[in-house]
Amino acid sequence: MALYFFTPFIAIILTILGGGIIFYILGFNPIEALKFYFITPISNLYGLSELLLKATPLCLIAIGLSFCFKSNNWNIGAEGQLTFGAIVGGGVALLFYNQEGFYILPLVILAGAIGGMIFALIPAILKTYFNTNEILVSLMLVYVSKLILDYLVVGPWSNPEGFNFPETRQFSDSSRMPLLFEGLRIHAGIFLALAAVMLSWFILYKTYLGFQIKVSGLSLKTAKYAGFKGKTMILVVFMISGACAGLAGVGEITGPIGQLHRMISPDYGFTAIIVAFLGRLNPFGIIFASLVVALTYLGAETAQIFLQIPKYTGQVFQGMILFFLLASDYLLFFKVKILSLKKNELRH
Amino acid sequence: MATDLRISNISKIYPGCIANDNVSLQFKSGKIYALLGENGAGKSTLVKILSGVISPDNGEVFLNEKNLKLSSPLDAKKNKIGMVFQHFNLFETLSVFENLSIDATEDNKSLRVRINEIFKKYNFSIDLDVPVLNLSAGQKQKVEIIRCLLRSPKVLIMDEPTSVLTEQETEELFISLKKFCDEGILIIYITHKLKEVLSLCDEVAVMRKGKVVSVSQTQNEKVETLANKMVGQKLAKIKKKINISKNKDEIFKVKHLNFYSDDPFETNLVNLNFSVKKGECLGIAGISGNGQNELFQILSGEIITPNTSIIFRNKEIAKLNPKQRREYLMAFSPEDRISQAAVPELKIYENVALNNFKASNFFEKGLVNERKIKDHSKKILSDFSVNTDNVELKSQFLSGGNLQKLILGRELITAPELLICYNPTWGLDVGAINYIHETLIKINDQEKSTILISTDTEELLKLSDRIAVIYKGKLSKIMSSEEVTPEKLGVLMGGGSID
Repeated sequence: MALYFFTPFIAIILTILGGGIIFYILGFNPIEALKFYFITPISNLYGLSELLLKATPLCLIAIGLSFCFKSNNWNIGAEGQLTFGAIVGGGVALLFYNQEGFYILPLVILAGAIGGMIFALIPAILKTYFNTNEILVSLMLVYVSKLILDYLVVGPWSNPEGFNFPETRQFSDSSRMPLLFEGLRIHAGIFLALAAVMLSWFILYKTYLGFQIKVSGLSLKTAKYAGFKGKTMILVVFMISGACAGLAGVGEITGPIGQLHRMISPDYGFTAIIVAFLGRLNPFGIIFASLVVALTYLGAETAQIFLQIPKYTGQVFQGMILFFLLASDYLLFFKVKILSLKKNELRH
Repeated sequence: MATDLRISNISKIYPGCIANDNVSLQFKSGKIYALLGENGAGKSTLVKILSGVISPDNGEVFLNEKNLKLSSPLDAKKNKIGMVFQHFNLFETLSVFENLSIDATEDNKSLRVRINEIFKKYNFSIDLDVPVLNLSAGQKQKVEIIRCLLRSPKVLIMDEPTSVLTEQETEELFISLKKFCDEGILIIYITHKLKEVLSLCDEVAVMRKGKVVSVSQTQNEKVETLANKMVGQKLAKIKKKINISKNKDEIFKVKHLNFYSDDPFETNLVNLNFSVKKGECLGIAGISGNGQNELFQILSGEIITPNTSIIFRNKEIAKLNPKQRREYLMAFSPEDRISQAAVPELKIYENVALNNFKASNFFEKGLVNERKIKDHSKKILSDFSVNTDNVELKSQFLSGGNLQKLILGRELITAPELLICYNPTWGLDVGAINYIHETLIKINDQEKSTILISTDTEELLKLSDRIAVIYKGKLSKIMSSEEVTPEKLGVLMGGGSID
């Protein structure tokens, strides 16, 4: 059990070592490169604020995904739910683009959550009533939502004064997340993420729904035997998951971005899958994991500036984390046995 | 060249059960041998020893007077012992040829030639380049057989080969097996189907409780005599007093229960009709795999079948799920203790919470009432003498017997009117078995009813007031347990008929 929570740390250490080796092969001093990657980005206040800014959507989405994954529902399409949440939330924000009022931001946030929820309901309903595979459906819907967004920002919602750039108008200040500190980009969305952590802990460990999720995740046969309403549960976990992704999307567009355009998310929805597993699907583990993974985003940007390497190295690191996590989970309980050559020869 | 396989004084002991007790048998090529026995008689253990999957605690295996050391399946292969298991070991997405070439030692070209020779010789025809998943069960089995034949085996062991085959495929298989036998391959055929033994095999060895109880020529045997040997003259020791009062109310009545499945490993159920009276135990006997799983799941509400009528205490419950059926005071104890009735990773009190209904108040307004569940769990642990009082213990640390007591306790503490249990004493030691039998008798004494689905005839004869036998998804007529003899049960379980 202790090992179960320990393997993420092994995975992180192995990722750093692996990263060092890659930097070495690329001809950099590995220690220095790793310092640029993991220390420099958070060595000042602005960097810390950026870390929290990036961790916020990752944490929110991963919390939602943990409901799905814990109950054996493989929602891979959080990126799509994030995008659709941003579309619906952004749509509401655009309605009020020239208005002010305290009620606007809550409306926008609510719309975002509902948008994500509706989009997550599609794979859920198809799974429960038509027996489709939620992995495929949710994944393919990501591209659907991205194309819808594309169409909207190029076509009907594009900024009339925007010289045909593929983006909408700027949202009014009443649609923007309040900033926490002057001069830093960290915004009130972080409280949404923290609230989601608390709430998910309560639901998962203190309610009947949480109990059903736990049992279904461990043994679907037992869940069936106990007579849990399997279909309702699938719909509910997808709705929770979609709402969280939708919130993350709306947090991005009302926070640092302030309008809708094509690039509202650097694949937060996919990266959050890594966060969820690195955090062991545990609400507090997810906070920790989201900070670690957010750092790979920041590190990639500093590395691009100081080492002149593409920022896509961030994805390499994220991939390595997942790779090493799965490998250590899988291999940790293996017994290594070295067969002598002689015996091997005999077998052939 | 003649083959002579001799098993000498093989013993294998598992904790709490002797799987093989000093088994000695001799087989010679040119004949087909049947190994007959009920579930748990020790057939599979013996076969696993012969194929090197497990090693015996005692005893030796001789092939043509050479002492074999069978410490892995590879050793069995090297010694030309081939084995076709009941469940296939094929890669579904690979083609037939790829499956056959995986452990081949020659190049693909000569392998293809050899496979085609085998095809010609035995009249097989399978497209070598289609993926295995497109094959029927019978064809998959042929692929397994070809895999054995490619190694020119001296001994071919078939474990329950007809359980997934159609009648037609079974006939084809028998023809092939007879051919192999004529070629000089020694064939050992493991089964519990009496008719197959009589129509296919030359000699039959019957096993019961780990021992070989008889070896004889099949021509001297009949369905009845074999059944008798297989089931044995089991005299129940604490047979319960049979409830004779015939005018009691029927509290549970099943009509037109039909179930059809596309899965070849599931059994279709054909028009089952039966009822249970108050205070009665209805036993359903049968060799496992004849539809008991499906029947249990339909009775518990895990599978809902259309057009079936299930009346319980004058209410139609056929459309209700297990939780809703529990509200009407039904309780269920499935066969699979560790992945269905309970979850090993969960704590005891969490497993108790699985049997939750409104009156229990385990979950008030959607919140977990941990204290209530724990108090309730403590009561179960003490009332049903589970040997721990720690409700926080993970269930995986309970022994089989204690886990079963916990499960039965969980189901019974709510005083249900009907308990449906499936192999409640499977794999338990004698002490736990006795405890559970006494508990089940006590329920009937309290005028509550039970349906006991079991593959253990002794248990059924001991506990049931009336017994029916399920065979290939069909239910025999229901007999009062006074008119039932072990012999009759054996015949019905083996697919025979009595009048």
